[in-house]
Amino acid sequence: MAAVNALQPTDRLRRSFVYRILQANGAVFEEINGGAVAMRFGASTESEVAKARRLGLADLSPLPRTGFKGVGTVDWLTAQGLTIGPDSNRAYRQSGGELAARLAPTEVLLLDSLSGDGALIERLNGAWGWSTETPRKPIGYPMPRADSHCWFAVTGEQAPAMFAKICGVDLRPNKFPEGAIAQTSVARINGIVIRQATALPSYYLLADSASAEYLWHGVMDAMLEFDGGPVGLAAVRELSSGV
Amino acid sequence: MKIMNCPLNGPRNISEFVWGGEVRTMPDPNGCTTEEWADYVFLENNTAGIVREWWCHVPTSFWFIAERNTVTDEIIRTYPAGEVFKTRVDFAPRPKTQEGTR
Repeated sequence: MAAVNALQPTDRLRRSFVYRILQANGAVFEEINGGAVAMRFGASTESEVAKARRLGLADLSPLPRTGFKGVGTVDWLTAQGLTIGPDSNRAYRQSGGELAARLAPTEVLLLDSLSGDGALIERLNGAWGWSTETPRKPIGYPMPRADSHCWFAVTGEQAPAMFAKICGVDLRPNKFPEGAIAQTSVARINGIVIRQATALPSYYLLADSASAEYLWHGVMDAMLEFDGGPVGLAAVRELSSGV
Repeated sequence: MKIMNCPLNGPRNISEFVWGGEVRTMPDPNGCTTEEWADYVFLENNTAGIVREWWCHVPTSFWFIAERNTVTDEIIRTYPAGEVFKTRVDFAPRPKTQEGTR
């Protein structure tokens, strides 16, 4: 059980779509950028990292993310200092650890680094605006993703085997390289799967926020036979730091 | 399961796609007759043979064009709509007197 004075998600305006499930699982929350993030689930950090190495599901939903879309989007983001390659369905790592996931030739999803400070996203939101020149220069438009999509991380050696039960795309490391993106059906709902650049297979999973609790339960159910379970952001950070 | 090749996402289960009807030239909505518009919106040629159709990859809402043999249900080729529609189509604006009746 969490300590009496511990931070609860309801203490903050920004909270996860699955915070009730996280609370029921004994999550310990910490504040990041105004939101309560599940950092650990009571166990020692070592045992939670060990679980994350086998098979873990973490909720990153309170962390900052956004998107930009439309003709001129990639040119504008490049002018803002981002590095975005030519291929769609690839995630490009930025200097601050953020991921620019190119979902289509004219659409980019931006995920903050695991520190969650949101600096790059804040800067881009501040910089974006229609110019006054006519005809208007196409620079795309913002596509906020913080409320539309939940953001989970699925980590560990057994993750590809678990995904094989709920997703038609082959996510094994030899077929699905680091930075690869699959926009596909996951547990029968539409999801975005992004392979993180980590030594162990580790994936970000984003899906409709209204289905977040369903997806959490669905993935957790698929994880049971591999002895997987919920892990906190601390364990995900630990795995990612070994890049 | 049947596999379809999405031009953006690659080969995917056919359950991720929805059919969007024949690829046809849209008549000018302000200039055509009601019959022409109804024909465009509601009626299909239902050709037995190779047809060109709109398909959508639902997880990405990506619309593209597929050439399919309706007799054998064989998908011959899929490609982005940009291969066919290269320029923006602008129709004449609606007459001002009808603006409020939309």
